[in-house]
Amino acid sequence: MTQYLTTVFLTLILLSATVLAGPLSQIRSFDAEKSLVEIEVTRTTYNYNIPWITGNTQTRKNGIVIAQNRILTTADGLSGQYLCRVRKGGQSRHYTAEILWIDYHTNIALFRVKEDAFWNGMRPVKLASKLPMSGDDLNVYRWRSGRIESRAAEIIRLFIGKSKTSYIRHISLAVSSEINAAGWAEVVIHKNQLIGLTSSGSDQRLNILPAPFIDFVLQGHEGNKAPGAAFFDFGWMDGKNPALLRSKSFQENGTGVVVTEIGKRGLSKNTLRSGDILFEIDGFSIDHDGKYIDPDFGRLSMDGLATRSRFAGEKIPMKIWRDGSEHTVEYKLPEADFRKSVIPEQCYDCPPEYLVAGGLVFQPLTGPLLRALGQNTPLLLEYYEAHPPIGERNGLVLLSMVLPDDYNRGYESARLLLVDQINGNSINCLRDVEIALKEADNGYHRIRFMKDESMIHMILDAKELPSATNRILERYQIPKQSFMKPLLNES
Amino acid sequence: MDKLCLTRIRLPFTELKVTIFYIDHSMNRICLTLFATFFLAALKVASGGPEQAVVKILNFSQQPDWREPWRFSQVNQSSGSGFVIEGNRVMTNAHVVSWSKHILVQRYQDPQLYPAKIEFIGHDCDLAVLQVIDPAFFDGINPLTIGELPEVRSTVTTYGYPAGGQQISYTRGVISRIEMQRYSHIYNRSLLAVQTDAAINPGNSGGPALQDDRVVGVSFQGRPGLENAGFFIPPNIISHFLKDIEDGSYHGFPDAGIGITKLQNPAFRRSLGLSDDSTGARIDTLYQPFPETHKRLRPNDVLLEVSGQEVGSDGLVQHRGNRIHAAFLFDEIQHGESIELVIWREGARAEIKLPLFVNREDRISGLQYDEPPPYLIVGGLVFTELSADYLNSLGNNWHQQVESHTMYELLFRAHRDEESARSKPILLSKILKHPSNIDFGVRTRSILKSVNGHAIHSMQDLRNALSHNTGNFHLFSFLSGREEALGRNEADAANQELLQQYNIPAAQRL
Repeated sequence: MTQYLTTVFLTLILLSATVLAGPLSQIRSFDAEKSLVEIEVTRTTYNYNIPWITGNTQTRKNGIVIAQNRILTTADGLSGQYLCRVRKGGQSRHYTAEILWIDYHTNIALFRVKEDAFWNGMRPVKLASKLPMSGDDLNVYRWRSGRIESRAAEIIRLFIGKSKTSYIRHISLAVSSEINAAGWAEVVIHKNQLIGLTSSGSDQRLNILPAPFIDFVLQGHEGNKAPGAAFFDFGWMDGKNPALLRSKSFQENGTGVVVTEIGKRGLSKNTLRSGDILFEIDGFSIDHDGKYIDPDFGRLSMDGLATRSRFAGEKIPMKIWRDGSEHTVEYKLPEADFRKSVIPEQCYDCPPEYLVAGGLVFQPLTGPLLRALGQNTPLLLEYYEAHPPIGERNGLVLLSMVLPDDYNRGYESARLLLVDQINGNSINCLRDVEIALKEADNGYHRIRFMKDESMIHMILDAKELPSATNRILERYQIPKQSFMKPLLNES
Repeated sequence: MDKLCLTRIRLPFTELKVTIFYIDHSMNRICLTLFATFFLAALKVASGGPEQAVVKILNFSQQPDWREPWRFSQVNQSSGSGFVIEGNRVMTNAHVVSWSKHILVQRYQDPQLYPAKIEFIGHDCDLAVLQVIDPAFFDGINPLTIGELPEVRSTVTTYGYPAGGQQISYTRGVISRIEMQRYSHIYNRSLLAVQTDAAINPGNSGGPALQDDRVVGVSFQGRPGLENAGFFIPPNIISHFLKDIEDGSYHGFPDAGIGITKLQNPAFRRSLGLSDDSTGARIDTLYQPFPETHKRLRPNDVLLEVSGQEVGSDGLVQHRGNRIHAAFLFDEIQHGESIELVIWREGARAEIKLPLFVNREDRISGLQYDEPPPYLIVGGLVFTELSADYLNSLGNNWHQQVESHTMYELLFRAHRDEESARSKPILLSKILKHPSNIDFGVRTRSILKSVNGHAIHSMQDLRNALSHNTGNFHLFSFLSGREEALGRNEADAANQELLQQYNIPAAQRL
């Protein structure tokens, strides 16, 4: 919780224009020792299988000085951080750094270091405004064991990819390089300018978060508007099949994709409908592969148009074909927000939520929990993950396990069951569980699981519940009965 | 080379690997250890022992291709065991003679091969009886009789022709336990099975397990990972099968469509007005489609007695010294007969007579036999029924190849409404590429939602939706949210070309 508030606080600091320093005017040739830093991140780790357990871990990643008192890195790996220190070239000393601003959707973070001594001799690097489309004259740099490590890199291609830390899509750059175990914000330099930061890497292929995208996001935030990252909350399929287009009376001209599903992330259900042919977005013609010609980067997926030059809240014109005629609609770009999904894909900077009642452990069904279950994930949960009951529920709650006690005798084996109702109340979140358990039904708590679960009914004694819960918390050494985040409208 | 049929299906809460034993007949290994067996067998011949009724069965089979349903595999040769029962019949496992094109049987110590045919086959209980064309086959053979369920810890001897050997093999073991087991041949059915430490190996399948020269089981399966453990089908299942076929047709084991759960929580018991003792198990779920069950039972009814036997709070009943799940008593009932239940409802006992019927709607979630899969080809799009067999045909990594809603449609139909439980989801199995469908933008293994505006719940629905269409296009909508279309005239023309090109005998088999 503290980490959560800290992040909010620091975000507010960022939004204060007085805090943000402008870029240094002098941009010189790139000298890794004067621009590249190593960031040591100490963070709390959580175990979604035992949600009250916390640990900690320490990792190292890279950062690059882009302005006075501003170090750029990726947001990946910073969730749960409570102590960050930076080290610059040729020194063993660590300087305490703090997050100035972080955005997990765009995978960008800024650090600052208060000690002036750190900045002595440091030199900012300019973010490239354009990306080379090909070539092998790129270099990847990082700190390793107190020395600069550099490898040549060659551009593979530009593409629209999914953010490493979110579901949003943006321009990405793939390069090949022999550097190993990369993906932790190693910097890619071309002609003394920052081309981007690595976001992931495998088999000599690195995915790069490109500088023009980083610059666009940072400029948006410097304007003190705090715009969020935008996302097209609809699915689509190729419009290649002439028969499909003809069946909709659409004149086949090589353009258009067919909209398939709307609002899967819980962000926007308006404007578009399933079955619409979408053939122009923001003035760009969309071909039947879902690609457009970007004036800067060439042929790219239309998914990137949500983040190309727009932020959440802006209206973006779209041309569609619906019911046999052309329409121009304005699609209000929704802001990416994990909390709006029925099953949040990510939960950053926050401990896992849980509630223990009579030995029954309830947890919201989330992406991290599903990933923690791994191969033990029941098929039914996989189904709900892919097909969340949009429109029916805001969230799903799981009876994740039972801590055996005489109070819950007979239910010891119950686990990973999706809760439908408690005492007749529909359950969408842990607060619903908490409230429902305050209203016993004739002396009992009646729990009903989803109709497709292996067990549907469970009954608990209402009067004994508080004492049983306390006893179980003590026996299993659980420090708190519950942890719940503020609701969306409370935060 | 041993030929093991490995079936692996991941269900919501269990993951199981099972092995069905049958072995390639082409293997002719001489095994020194068989010497003793051979010597023992020779002695038995002289004394007219039960082995004279044990036969070797050769099966020549062809299995359908579930992804390209008009095709069949090459002819496979496999062998198993069987034994002669009353009425000049040979009893064996269903899996020994499945997908048979030609069956040969061989008597004990007799080189002659006799053609045989399946008279009755019960895939749900993995049993079959064969007729031998030449009645002389049975000359001089004393049929074996079916005994009683053996006691745990008693000794049994299994007879059979394991590992494709020419000589009969005997193994002796102890009955380890008797409980409900998943029958791997059908996969979606659990019936009573007996576990023994007698070696049951590939080729033993269909052979008898004897106690005092009476059949107390039919060897049928093992389980990888469980050492020194083989399973045989007990006498009550065998007798149920034999009684079922008395009227000249096999119906199968009926199903009540109820989910029985332990009732051991004191609060739950109190809420139902029951004392905190150890009687009565709760009916948690009523599945579909079981209309007779829905008329008579409700969720949270408590099963106190089944067929006069008291049900424990763990759902088990006492039976001949064993505690066995009460479900086994339902398996004693024949299709269309009723079972007598005593339940606890609203604070009082009530007697219920529940008619039981075979559920034929769940066939797609189990492994299927006898009938090759249905299919329909339109414009090169090959549609077939979603089935466990289809998923198996995708290989070991089938789980990665299908979307989660595919598994949901297959395995969770019975949890929903009656219409869903009776539906047979249709999927796009293959696209036979043609200029008219080359850009069809839906991947194979997608499940149909509607065609030409009509919801699709069966192959018949699909055929009707296509044949009644008078528009210029066939419109397909899939569960994934994708939609596609084919020009109707182009599709008809493409079908003709593709049937010829791929040597497909017909555009549909429903």
